[in-house]
Amino acid sequence: MASMRKVERHEARTAYVFITPTVLLFTVFTVIPVVMALYLSFTNYDVLSQNDWVGLDNYRRLMEDSLLWKTFKNVFFYSIIFVPLNIVISLLLSMLLSRAWRGVKLFRTFYYLPTLTSAVAAATVWIWLLHPEFGLVNGLLSYVGITGPAWLSETSTAMLSIVMLTLWQSVGSNMIIYLAGLQGVPDYLYESARLDGANKWASFRYITWPQLRPTTFLVSTMAIIGALQLFDQAFVLTQGGPANVTKTPVYLIYQQGFNQLQMGYASAQAFVLAVAILIFSLINMRVSKAEESII
Amino acid sequence: MRKGWVTALSVMMVAALAAGCSGNSGKESPANDGKAGSGSSGKKTELTFWGDWGGEGQKQFETMVDAFNKSQDKIHVKYVLQQDMITKFLTAATNGGAPDVLFWDRWRTSLYAPKNVLHPVDEYLTRDGISKDDFYSESLTELSHDNKLYGLPLTVDARALFYNKKLLDDAGLQPPATWDELEQAAAKLTKWNGDKLEVAGFSMGDLGLFNMYLQQAGGQMLTEDGKTNFNNEQGKQVLEFWDRLMNKDKVYKVGFELGLGEGQDAFVTGKVAMLYSGPWMLSTYNKYGKDLDYGIVPPPAGPNGDKGSVMGGFGLVIPEGSKHHDEAWEFIKWWTANKDNALMWAKTSLNLPGFKPSMEDPFFQDDPQWKPFLDTLEFAKIRPTHPGYSVMETDALAPNLQLNQQNKQSIEDTLKKAQEQGDKMLKDNAVVK
Repeated sequence: MASMRKVERHEARTAYVFITPTVLLFTVFTVIPVVMALYLSFTNYDVLSQNDWVGLDNYRRLMEDSLLWKTFKNVFFYSIIFVPLNIVISLLLSMLLSRAWRGVKLFRTFYYLPTLTSAVAAATVWIWLLHPEFGLVNGLLSYVGITGPAWLSETSTAMLSIVMLTLWQSVGSNMIIYLAGLQGVPDYLYESARLDGANKWASFRYITWPQLRPTTFLVSTMAIIGALQLFDQAFVLTQGGPANVTKTPVYLIYQQGFNQLQMGYASAQAFVLAVAILIFSLINMRVSKAEESII
Repeated sequence: MRKGWVTALSVMMVAALAAGCSGNSGKESPANDGKAGSGSSGKKTELTFWGDWGGEGQKQFETMVDAFNKSQDKIHVKYVLQQDMITKFLTAATNGGAPDVLFWDRWRTSLYAPKNVLHPVDEYLTRDGISKDDFYSESLTELSHDNKLYGLPLTVDARALFYNKKLLDDAGLQPPATWDELEQAAAKLTKWNGDKLEVAGFSMGDLGLFNMYLQQAGGQMLTEDGKTNFNNEQGKQVLEFWDRLMNKDKVYKVGFELGLGEGQDAFVTGKVAMLYSGPWMLSTYNKYGKDLDYGIVPPPAGPNGDKGSVMGGFGLVIPEGSKHHDEAWEFIKWWTANKDNALMWAKTSLNLPGFKPSMEDPFFQDDPQWKPFLDTLEFAKIRPTHPGYSVMETDALAPNLQLNQQNKQSIEDTLKKAQEQGDKMLKDNAVVK
């Protein structure tokens, strides 16, 4: 018994030794910056010359900052379209590609490939595809007699274009997560359902979907966080335009901090964003739980 | 045995991490590296010169740096390419790693000078007897804050009207000199095929040029006391002019030029007949436009004959954090305030130099490509030097202009909203000191 405890102690010590580097990295590059940012959000820090305590001034200012709230509205609009589509498409793809048929690996690779492209490179190519006169998208549309819009330059379609690009880029990795989730669903459940006379839809409704709940929770949470932090694609595709419809909070924070040298105010904006992400993750958690009790 | 391994491994990782953190302090002052005596450079002062021009631009900078290094034996300058220069400068300016000379987009001066990170050069100017009259006063104003000058202009530029000679000749047109002529020419040059635009008579892709049109209408962007000044008759004239071009004459389509890079540039390929552009595009048009025959004229005058264009350009400045202010000044003076060197720079980079005497050279005077720019510079004005100006322009004015251009907001509402939002942004981004 005594030797057992000794072994445990030894293991614990080893574990601490192993996690030290990671914890240290996490502290230096995450915890300290976050604490610093919270402190800076109460100052008028401008990176260069001043760092005075201004109390709640920054937070008072952002209450009246209509542009900041517009950027939040923009990413919410984006999330409402992007997150459900992301889940549906990646789930469909993974179910399609979960069985072993000829060439399935090739398709898996194809759908995963866009994930590997850098956001900036992909966006650059998409600017081309979406060109109103010479782009491929409108070219295809014109074959069926539709005059496509100036996707990136019109207020009504700019955000939809970004949804298209980000979906194209992100369903691949979520498909892989769902594929892994599908492997974890035990076959005997389907077998017994079949014996009970359940059709395909029923087995999806009562077996696959509930079994995949943890996976869906992971995918949706990551998608929501990613959506609220949208930046690169909007930066390259539209520079926040036209008429600010694709400007995002992260874009604004970047601009306020680095272009206008108002790091204190930018930190306050960043904290509002962090709180928003927290709230939406909590809501998502509640929604996932609520479903569990129903079924 | 195994435990020993684990400990050793983790110690190594922690050490590596710590080394990564302290890496900065080891390289704190690159300016001192040479002085510390790597032997060959002897007693020379090593200067670091930061810029964000790579590729061709880097070669152009290095040509000038080499010429300077050969011209004397006390100072040695090294060009360091910094892709994200301003962000790096932000951290370098505070921790002692600042360069000695900085390539500087002049409009940033009003934002940075109040933070005391740039070194004023007025005393040097007096000491070395350099006349301010040799520079465009507008460009010096843009490099000044609070009556102190923070550097010298390296380049000047302004927008002028580029036109496709062939397209104008085919339509029997002369290059326009007034808004009316511009409108008529643009309408004639535009070609639609159904709802597909084939040739845009005049580019209206850059709504940031509002400032320039406003000057041509006889207006100004800001009032003396730093408020927006376009919600008035002049602003209305500009938007009505745009409205005629976009909606009545239909000379352009929103998003037409977006994403068309150098080789496919809409002007190069003849898909845009006329556009406002600057001397920075000359090399591109000359390089890619083998079949492109184009001319340049100063911007057409507005309804009352007012002329207007926006002057911009770069300068060289000395960061306060540099340990070699005097030597840095020698370098800047050699490059920007010497007729021959400024001319060499102009010929190397195909930029208009900031030093006026070098523009008297036949290289500029006899070349039909440069003449319109020289004429334009005579009346061109810089952007207002309010630290919140660029934010106001991009976040308050431009979005409203875009809504107007897409017929989603009336002219009156556009000007009114741009004024309200703009004034707030100007106020929020004024220097807090």
